[in-house]
Amino acid sequence: MNCSKFLRKALWCRVERVMNICMLTWEYPPRIVGGIARHCFGLAKALAKMGHSVYVVTLDFPGASYYEDSEGVKIYRAKIELGHPNFIVWTLLFNHFMEKRIAMLSKDAKFDIIHAHDWLVAPASIASKHYLKVPLISTMHSTEVGRSHGLHNPDSYLIDGIEWWLTYESKRIIVTSNAMKNEVEEHFRLPSWKIDVIPNAIDASKYNITVDRSIVKRRFGIDSSERIVLFIGRLVPQKGVEYLIMAAPKIFGQHPEARIVIVGDGWSKDHLWNLASSIGCQHKIIFLGFISDQDLIELTLSSDVLVVPSVYEPFGIVALEGMAAGVPVVASNTGGLAEIIEHDRTGFLAYKENPDSIAWGVNKVLSDSGYASWLVQNAKRKINEVYSWDAVARKTIETYEKALRE
Amino acid sequence: MSSKLASIPDEVYLLCILHNVGATEPERALTLEEIARWTAMNPSKAEQNLNKLIENKYVEIKENFGVKKYFITIDGIRKVLSMYS
Repeated sequence: MNCSKFLRKALWCRVERVMNICMLTWEYPPRIVGGIARHCFGLAKALAKMGHSVYVVTLDFPGASYYEDSEGVKIYRAKIELGHPNFIVWTLLFNHFMEKRIAMLSKDAKFDIIHAHDWLVAPASIASKHYLKVPLISTMHSTEVGRSHGLHNPDSYLIDGIEWWLTYESKRIIVTSNAMKNEVEEHFRLPSWKIDVIPNAIDASKYNITVDRSIVKRRFGIDSSERIVLFIGRLVPQKGVEYLIMAAPKIFGQHPEARIVIVGDGWSKDHLWNLASSIGCQHKIIFLGFISDQDLIELTLSSDVLVVPSVYEPFGIVALEGMAAGVPVVASNTGGLAEIIEHDRTGFLAYKENPDSIAWGVNKVLSDSGYASWLVQNAKRKINEVYSWDAVARKTIETYEKALRE
Repeated sequence: MSSKLASIPDEVYLLCILHNVGATEPERALTLEEIARWTAMNPSKAEQNLNKLIENKYVEIKENFGVKKYFITIDGIRKVLSMYS
């Protein structure tokens, strides 16, 4: 066997090796806050499907058991035994309980990799890396400086410091878009070779159902003749919902049959409601709050356009959901969204923080059914080719392998 | 984060405190006096905010031997976590 053949075979053997992966995340279903829970759920399941042993260590949640084996993924929920009103102190406390859980687990399972998701689990992940002496990989889903538009108070500085600490302690870092790679590389002064870009993915098969749009609309108090302009996400400034609301008069002016439906909740909900009232559109904008996953799928399938007006979006998994559901997407030309969506091909990219541009995109989709179908057709093709969990899991294993080799 | 907490409505601030101190299940519910202490709000203001949260289904009451105790619901937990994610 010549040298290159030998090396190839050795590499293949390593890739085929079954790993014990310990994944740390502060949110995992049913504890769903933002995209991290869905990301970890999809990734863990796909890694387990490949034959790896995946241990997810996360936080407790009312109604969820402390241990669960779900589709081959072992889920351990740490009980938060002690709380504190201060958020940062609370975070450090729950990290202690996660670390304790990992220490107990490591008596029976010999972990090959620790995989942390975001700064919230940094202390437990870093401590585990040191006492288990295994490589730490971290996925940076976003940064404090990006989420908060800069660092404006002591807590933000501390979170930023913890994020840097996590990247410093990690053997490799995963980000979900090139925009995020640039942000992390520049802000934390990291070497480019240490960062791997692995996109998010979705399970597109969940949209392979037929729904009666009239029935779904009626369930949410919408007339069957009305057309749904949908927003899904946390109601926080980062998501830019106010720009969609400000676009409403121009949308309703051209399409009186349109109705804006906002799914999700968050601390700026009252402000958004007041904004809708102040422009006289409150009767045409519905705030649904949190709804079940099944309702969300059915509502998405019954929508005419999905708007993702984010101000800061490292990836934008909700845009993928819309694309997979066959709903035309109008999104801000920012961060990961600008990489997922090809303007006028797989979606419409609107100027960031610009209600006029959002209205233009929504009106174009609602007015031109040929254009809307063209976007949907191209978007579905792209989803199937690029954004599957199997592909993401394979790339993640490559990152683990690199970390083990380095 | 602290500036965010300063700008959010009082009842959401109270909701965050309830979450962070662990009043997330009926067995870990807190009395009005305990909540007033944790949040440094006077009891009548705390009660007023709790009533708003109950109305919006973010908080529930558990009554035991005539003592009212408050804990946050799953929607309440998600509302709090939306601030931190």
